[in-house]
Amino acid sequence: MEANQILFIAIALLTVLSAAMVAFSNKLIHSAFALLATFTGFAMLYVYLSADFLAVTQIVVYVGGILILILFGVLMTHKIYSTTKKTAHNSLIVSLLGGILSAGLILFIISKAPWAPLLAKGFNPTTAIIGKEILTGYLLPFEIISVLLLGALIGAIYIARAEDK
Amino acid sequence: MVGFYTVLLFIFTGAFLVSFTVALSRFFAPTKQYPEKLIPYECGDLPQGDAWIQFNNRFYIVALIFLIFDVEVMFLFPWAVVFNDMGLLAFVEMFIFIVVLLVGYAYVWVKGDLDWIKPKPRLEHLAKGKGE
Amino acid sequence: MSNLNSIQYFIPELFLTAAILVLIIVDLVLKDRKGHIIAYLTAASAIIAGILAYQQFNLPAASLFQGMIVVDSFAIFFKILAAFSTAIIVFISLDSFGDKAEYNILLLIVTLGMFLMPAVNDILMIIIAMEIVGLMSYVLAGFHKKDLKSTEAALKYMIYGAASTGIMAFGFSLIYGLTGHTNLYDIQTALVNGHANPVAMFVAFMMILGGLGYKIAMVPFHFWVPDVYEGAPTPVTAFLSVGPKAAGFALFIRFLVTVIAHPTYGSFGSFTQNVQIQAPLLLAVLAVLTMTLGNFSALNQKNIKRMLGYSAIAHVGYMVMALVVLNNDAFGAVMFYMIVYLFMNFGAFWVVESFASKLGGEEIENYKGLGYRDPFTAVSMAIFMFSLTGLPPFAGFIGKVYLFSAVIKQGWYILALIGVLNSVVSLFYYLSVVKSMFLRQEDENVPIQSSLYHKVLVVIFVVPTLLLGVYWQPIINFTTHSIGIFFGK
Repeated sequence: MEANQILFIAIALLTVLSAAMVAFSNKLIHSAFALLATFTGFAMLYVYLSADFLAVTQIVVYVGGILILILFGVLMTHKIYSTTKKTAHNSLIVSLLGGILSAGLILFIISKAPWAPLLAKGFNPTTAIIGKEILTGYLLPFEIISVLLLGALIGAIYIARAEDK
Repeated sequence: MVGFYTVLLFIFTGAFLVSFTVALSRFFAPTKQYPEKLIPYECGDLPQGDAWIQFNNRFYIVALIFLIFDVEVMFLFPWAVVFNDMGLLAFVEMFIFIVVLLVGYAYVWVKGDLDWIKPKPRLEHLAKGKGE
Repeated sequence: MSNLNSIQYFIPELFLTAAILVLIIVDLVLKDRKGHIIAYLTAASAIIAGILAYQQFNLPAASLFQGMIVVDSFAIFFKILAAFSTAIIVFISLDSFGDKAEYNILLLIVTLGMFLMPAVNDILMIIIAMEIVGLMSYVLAGFHKKDLKSTEAALKYMIYGAASTGIMAFGFSLIYGLTGHTNLYDIQTALVNGHANPVAMFVAFMMILGGLGYKIAMVPFHFWVPDVYEGAPTPVTAFLSVGPKAAGFALFIRFLVTVIAHPTYGSFGSFTQNVQIQAPLLLAVLAVLTMTLGNFSALNQKNIKRMLGYSAIAHVGYMVMALVVLNNDAFGAVMFYMIVYLFMNFGAFWVVESFASKLGGEEIENYKGLGYRDPFTAVSMAIFMFSLTGLPPFAGFIGKVYLFSAVIKQGWYILALIGVLNSVVSLFYYLSVVKSMFLRQEDENVPIQSSLYHKVLVVIFVVPTLLLGVYWQPIINFTTHSIGIFFGK
């Protein structure tokens, strides 16, 4: 159990520190690669929440898809060497204060609120449950998502297409 | 959960092996650096221009299409797990899902976003001049 | 209701989905020979879907697909509104985008999203429906790919939209954690019977307001409005200011009366908060901020689209003001105002759209002397402006009377007073357009020839704006009949 906690802290640190690097790095490409560590860290945290399918989805879609897209976006940037990210530091105190306040508020809620009882304890495989649910109880969202993806495909391709033919 | 420990072990082993060998070579290899050695290696020729060229837009479009169908595939996994128990109903429901996305696939195909034609060489005026 | 049985109540949406697929295939088959066919088919599909929705009006309300969505008269009202606004927008944008298949297809997908938004009954469906409308709207806002302003509008809209959706999803996760349900009715039951922490509920409500407020452009989530409204193509701006906003209000109302409040026992048509979080007071403050900020920012605008954008924020303020009192009177007033707003706002945007090239721009300055160059259009524009201000005898006045009376009946006098004062402020900037058109002249008044198409559309918008100002009873009857909100799983 002790080792498990150390592992958790290590994963959390990896996630938070790489996320900080995404935000504070001045090089676009560094941010993009730090995002890789953030996404992977998230996937590991999902495993801790017993969401194994979500963890794999995180790897396949975010690391395997969205990150590649972001890297392509970086590679398509004009004059990459002279392009630096500008992270605004002038409102540092305000944003720091806001961040600490909202973190405190969320911490307060998490510790004080009467949460609904857990549905299941321990680690259970979820893929089969998800499969059954999307075909019965959550059928409508599942089918509507196909229309959403269709629209996203058409819209994204239209915007990304180089020239109108 | 045990399966994920295997994954973790795999990640650790990989990270260890890579960093170990790199560190090993760093430790043993002699380091003599001179300017010629520091330029990028392009098959022995002197490098021309930036190594960082602007990407062709088509890569991006293909990546976009990939992403959409990547998400679709993620829905196929849980469906495949329960397909044997659910039978025809599961088949019909997934069929509708796929058909809708197939229309999107037809769209990108017919509109030519999957074509990989090279840009036409701008030598038409030369060819014309020759013919006349 | 089980999935298979639900399909018979889901025909309008099924029709829309089929129409989307068919339109894509038609576009692929016809290639370059299509002309305006896709646009006409889009308008026809929207209208047919609206008629199909109307046919369900007298059916008993029910929940569909195991509690995912409901079909009730409240949802049907907003579905008809959505279908109608899409059909109108197709005709408004016929000149600029009539031959663009993608534009019309995306418009139809937005319509599907707007059909789902008023009917949602589950947190998951809220997010999916809002994302359908949101994602397609981002693309529509950036549809002029070569226009930098349009691209910037799309980018800003998308980035702010993604952030606000993320915040909203976090708020929903808090509510799920508190109640253990995703179904809105189950959440209501759990909250009424349980004892949720007011602080947690309040924070969750604030976070969800981030997403909902963004969709309806409420302060402090309004900052995208001026840039997007100015940069986006004019028909898209007109669409965003009415269609998705109406659907957003429907979702907002349904969220308020399920997650935030429940029907008061023994008193029909009024609602009590599930958890005492002072939601009405919060909404009242936001309403005052929204209308004041919108009106005062609109005062100094030179660009008419930007001015209409800020005025749209102000109108959201008036409508949020009515939500404060949480009863059926107020919801009916919002629904009536939405209809009125549809006609006068579409009318104003149609004049902007069709005269932008003739007048050489979209600045208020360009409208100088329009009253002498094209009196018909100028008078119509003046009517839209007066109606937007809320002057009698135009439709906007009646809309505002219902909104304010709903607020005053419940004793929110100061709120109503601020609303009235705001309407007076709005008179200045709406009249500046009228003044520019009639009181200032150019050196020579070259008459502008407008097409018959332009005139017919203007008449379509002017007649209801005038008619609803003197004879509004049938519409009020219709909205009162439409406030049947279904509770159940």
